[in-house]
Amino acid sequence: MNFWQKIKKNRVLKNILIFLAMLGPGVITGSVDNDAGGITTYSVAAATYGYPILWTLLPSFIVLLVVQEMNMRMGACTGKGLADLIRETFGIKVTFWIFLGLLVADIGNTATEFAGVAGSMNIFGISKYISVPLTAGAVWILVTKGNYKVSERIFLFFSLALLSYVISAVAAKPDWHQVGLALIQPQIQFDKDYLIMVLGIVGTTIAPWMQFYMQSAVIEKGTTMEDYKLALADVIIGCVATVAVAVFIMVACAATLHVNNVVINEAKDAALALKPFAGALASAVFAFGLFVASIFSATILPLATSFYICEAFGFNAGIDKRVEEAPQFYALFASIMVIACVVILIPNAPLIAITLWTQDINAMLLPVVLISMQLMVNNPEIMGEHVNNKLQNAVGWSTTVVLITLTLLLLVIPAFDFFKAH
Amino acid sequence: MELFVYFSKMIGCNVQDNRGSWVGRLHDIAMNPNSDIYPKASDLIIRRGSFSREYARVNWEDIASIEKDIRLKITSDRIKFSREMPKSDFTLRRDIFDQQVVDIDDQRVVRVNDIYLLRVDNQLYAANVDVGLRAIFRRLGWTGIVDLIVSIINSKSPYLTQEELIPWKATQILPKLGRMRSVLKLDVTKNKLSSIPPAALADIIQDLDLFARVSVFKSIDSVLQNKVFTDMTLAYKEELIEQLSEGEVANLITNIPADEATDLLMKLPREKTHHLMGLLGTETNKKLRKLLGFAQNSAGGLMTAEYLTLKADATVADALQKIKDNINFPGTIFFLYIVDDNYKYLGTTSLRRFFNEDPQSLLLKTCYPENIHVYTDDSVEQVALLLERYKSSSIPVLNSQDILQGIITIDDVLEELISLAWHQYKEKL
Repeated sequence: MNFWQKIKKNRVLKNILIFLAMLGPGVITGSVDNDAGGITTYSVAAATYGYPILWTLLPSFIVLLVVQEMNMRMGACTGKGLADLIRETFGIKVTFWIFLGLLVADIGNTATEFAGVAGSMNIFGISKYISVPLTAGAVWILVTKGNYKVSERIFLFFSLALLSYVISAVAAKPDWHQVGLALIQPQIQFDKDYLIMVLGIVGTTIAPWMQFYMQSAVIEKGTTMEDYKLALADVIIGCVATVAVAVFIMVACAATLHVNNVVINEAKDAALALKPFAGALASAVFAFGLFVASIFSATILPLATSFYICEAFGFNAGIDKRVEEAPQFYALFASIMVIACVVILIPNAPLIAITLWTQDINAMLLPVVLISMQLMVNNPEIMGEHVNNKLQNAVGWSTTVVLITLTLLLLVIPAFDFFKAH
Repeated sequence: MELFVYFSKMIGCNVQDNRGSWVGRLHDIAMNPNSDIYPKASDLIIRRGSFSREYARVNWEDIASIEKDIRLKITSDRIKFSREMPKSDFTLRRDIFDQQVVDIDDQRVVRVNDIYLLRVDNQLYAANVDVGLRAIFRRLGWTGIVDLIVSIINSKSPYLTQEELIPWKATQILPKLGRMRSVLKLDVTKNKLSSIPPAALADIIQDLDLFARVSVFKSIDSVLQNKVFTDMTLAYKEELIEQLSEGEVANLITNIPADEATDLLMKLPREKTHHLMGLLGTETNKKLRKLLGFAQNSAGGLMTAEYLTLKADATVADALQKIKDNINFPGTIFFLYIVDDNYKYLGTTSLRRFFNEDPQSLLLKTCYPENIHVYTDDSVEQVALLLERYKSSSIPVLNSQDILQGIITIDDVLEELISLAWHQYKEKL
């Protein structure tokens, strides 16, 4: 009896295999989620505020779960992408503004990914003027000439590298008791920088473009409501993994950098700063994780963004089309890549500001996308019998309200400071 | 008032009653699907209120005039508003505006940016759908600015003059959110898809979302279904049969060429294949079971079981009769294969070779002088080589005891070779 037959005979193992085959949209989306922007935000937040800011991840997790479940349900129910549904339900004006926002945010997001590439390669002694153009070239070739499905699987395998943050965190020897307490005891401060940070964490954990990506992945997989339970398990695992990685990144940074009062501005700084406290291995592993995450998202983001925009406006799209067949698609893809790279390559570019502002645009765009999703997922013309139940609506709407309040606070506080100063 | 009106301009326009007092705003227009080439508007759907919206239906006969505003002949108290949207089979906003439709002429799926309505004596007819970029800017209210910018850059740009209009008769509406309203929808609005060649229709169907795909597929007749299904790629075939009933799947597998059916069955999980085989008729079952035993890119995997055989003692008259009897045969009837009682292969002849021969003479005498054939485990390349060398369009496949197993036609080989060539071409890039 060979290895595979042995496995097939074993009931438990067989079920695990079936489950692994079903794994997909949730887990893939989860690993794309912890991109360069995410790693930067998590490490900067933890280095600045230490363990007490960990609590933000718990509500983030709940919201992430509820939102992704809605995306999965909408995809399974309608077989349509989120962009399609928004266009068909709300008409062209709403669609236009949402996608303009998404385009701007995603150019920023892509720039952040390239900043991640530049930063992580810098640690291994490679200049950004070499690493960024090379990576961009590689991404372009991969997308236009290569097999996208295969590369997605390879990246997914490499995203196991994110688990390296577990190593970094353990090597940092944190006080686990304190970590546990911080996760469940919210300690809120009411100053501008703190609020920006909280908004940034939420914005990076639940980035608007993820909703589009998630729903497309569900459709690609051909999930229907009959597969709901397995798909739900996939979403839950994806969310747990995403937030667990975030916890470990924050613990690693809080246990070393915050405790020793090291102030950092980028994920790269975190990798460098880890060295004296957690050892060279932890530092290198952190940098490697950052590199893989950055390049993964730098491939997916520009592609996905161009795709959704074309989908919403009815242009031909897809990497299986030739440039003449899908001019708008390739034009968008190329411009996002070029703008993002150029921004990063400008000497003394304000990378940190770009990263933080991008996260804030994400957080501001999120309520708009969430409101659209809430309206659609409660519309029986679209969802039939699978509209939201009361609990889902409660979580969905309260998230939206909290996010809008936070965003408004962010806009109001600077104005308030301004008047105080004059 | 102009002859043509944009539907986007009409949405939200004020509706007044016979005394000129405000009733509501235009929300949608229900169409009469049975009117000839251009569907005629049959009802107005008006709305009022912003947070708790109410809708009402107004019959077209109650309209006095359509200018900038819509004026009704009736008093406002005769209009009954309710929270429920009035039911209609087919409305412009819900079913066409901003939705995807099939452009029959260019054979592609497009998204509707606007609808041109033709106005004759206060009647409205849907004339064209606009899928152009300019319609998007018009709806955003930016026509002036964008036109100015484009004309500065290139005053001869086709953007300024070319409208991307699709006439109504070349527009096929798709079932919106297929799962909810499914096939019913297509019956209402006449199915125009059958005028598209099957291969192009297969491409269109693959462009749709899963549920629309299923309902469009179910809306076409079974002969076209078989052709379209044959032309779909394997991955889409797999996905589609997941959504069809067992009976429908069994029907499809029986009616598509046997080699296509085996390709599909080989792709499916073993248990599913077994289950499906149980649903097929015994003839199909026997045919497919044999084909399933061979590797996909070997002669055995490529061959089809659809060919005509005759015994060694058959005459030319028998052969002609056989062809007449099988005029609707799905496989080739141009070639005939001669076998003995044990199905041992004796020779191949073609219509061209025996058509003018004496009807009483033995068919075996008209066979090709060269005995060309391949064995089940020969490779695609070998098959292609022989077909090319003998300029033949089909070749018999034998097992090691020279028993005829099937035939390979040149289109099957081409399909396999093109995909091979494509892979090599891609690697070179």
